[in-house]
Amino acid sequence: MKNIKTLFVFLLPLAVGLILASSCASSKITMKSGAQLWGENCVRCHATPSPSAYNDIDWETIGLHMRIRANLTAEETNKIVEFLQSAN
Amino acid sequence: MKKILITTLVLVLVITYSYAQDTPAPEPFTPSKTQFMVRGYAHAGLNYKKTGDEVESTFVGTTFNPLFIFKHGDRLLFESELAFSFEDGQLDIGFEYANMSYLINDYMTIRMGKMLLPFGTFIERLHPSWVNKFANAPLGFGHGGIAPASGIGVEMRGAIPVGSMKILYSVYATNGPVLNTGMDAEGNFDEPDEAGQLMFNNFEDNNNKKGYGGRLGILPFANSSVEIGGSIYGGAVGDRGSSYGNIGAMLYAVDFSFVRQVSAVRGIVDVKAQYNLSNVDQATYIEPADDPLDPDEAYTFENSSNAYFAQASYRPTMAGNDVMKNFEVAYRYSAFNAPEGAEWEQQSTQWSVALNYYMNWRTLFKLSYQSTSQVGGHGVPEGETVQTDGIFVHWALGF
Repeated sequence: MKNIKTLFVFLLPLAVGLILASSCASSKITMKSGAQLWGENCVRCHATPSPSAYNDIDWETIGLHMRIRANLTAEETNKIVEFLQSAN
Repeated sequence: MKKILITTLVLVLVITYSYAQDTPAPEPFTPSKTQFMVRGYAHAGLNYKKTGDEVESTFVGTTFNPLFIFKHGDRLLFESELAFSFEDGQLDIGFEYANMSYLINDYMTIRMGKMLLPFGTFIERLHPSWVNKFANAPLGFGHGGIAPASGIGVEMRGAIPVGSMKILYSVYATNGPVLNTGMDAEGNFDEPDEAGQLMFNNFEDNNNKKGYGGRLGILPFANSSVEIGGSIYGGAVGDRGSSYGNIGAMLYAVDFSFVRQVSAVRGIVDVKAQYNLSNVDQATYIEPADDPLDPDEAYTFENSSNAYFAQASYRPTMAGNDVMKNFEVAYRYSAFNAPEGAEWEQQSTQWSVALNYYMNWRTLFKLSYQSTSQVGGHGVPEGETVQTDGIFVHWALGF
């Protein structure tokens, strides 16, 4: 049980810290194109998807799904989806 | 005659013009805020296994995992995955996950329900058959394994860019794992050979004490080619009010990933690894006597297990030949060490080599050879090493 309390004491400050950090994040993602982010992020788990695999509306839905599953930021997701929509 | 023709022409023009005025021009299509999709994956294939003189050759499949995605506006998502398979002459339906997510801000999402747990990366990211480069999961995952697949609870997750780096995070609370004591609630023996194992499908909290966990991943380079992660998950695991009420467990995992198209070798190099460690508080379990006239025997053991895998693959995506660039070679080594003194004590090692061909980005043929060496565990005589070699031909498809 001592281990469990230690775990809780570790996770609580982590959660609070992440909330604070997430509200003031900075990034160099702004310098990357959607094509570059598509090439770098999708391939970390699976082959890069073909833009023609889905239509514009479907890419919006898949983008939201992958944003959560793959821990993507809003900016990364938006750029990737815009690239896929422009190239399909 | 000429007057009639001119009059008719004028009438036609007037009628056509009037009709055009009454018919509004079509408006551009505007998609609704609510969208629904069915995605998922499936696989089928042939398994050939040889253990000593015993040979097993069978077609397997089709395992079919539909994924239902409901997008409610720009911030709200519900998704659920089922797993259909055919086992022992019956259709088996697995409930993989079902959860709802809300995007709090650009870097944070909260979700609730049954979800895949980010304990390492294999389960959450790599286990679907069209993503997994091999025919099965590494040792230590799945039934009897030590890595949790899913949990019911609430999670906060997201990513934070820090300069050229990126930090991925997840913290969650669930009903927590359950200790298999080898007995049911009435005190009757139930899977006594698995006493001391953890079960992760805790649909109702068995002790009112939540399990807490999280994962922190760091992508240190701007090109996101490398990811290093650490996971932790623990809580009380014994049933409330039982003699196991104070038994707790702590699980740890570290994972590594490198994926990059390397010009020098004209292709994508993909290296992944994960190490899992499970520590469960020591407890006393009961072994049923072989002879009903003999008394049952109490025993205990240091309940610590570990499992790990490392895999590497190469796909010549920059090859000039269109066929060659769709091939991939992959190698994986994995091991599972269950605690000494447990009924499920075992030391297993496994290596696999695969040759895959991608028909497209989400459809591949997998041909793999696998060799497993196991000491201890179910069906293995004490002190003996059982060697199983297998060839797997699988066709996996994501959709």
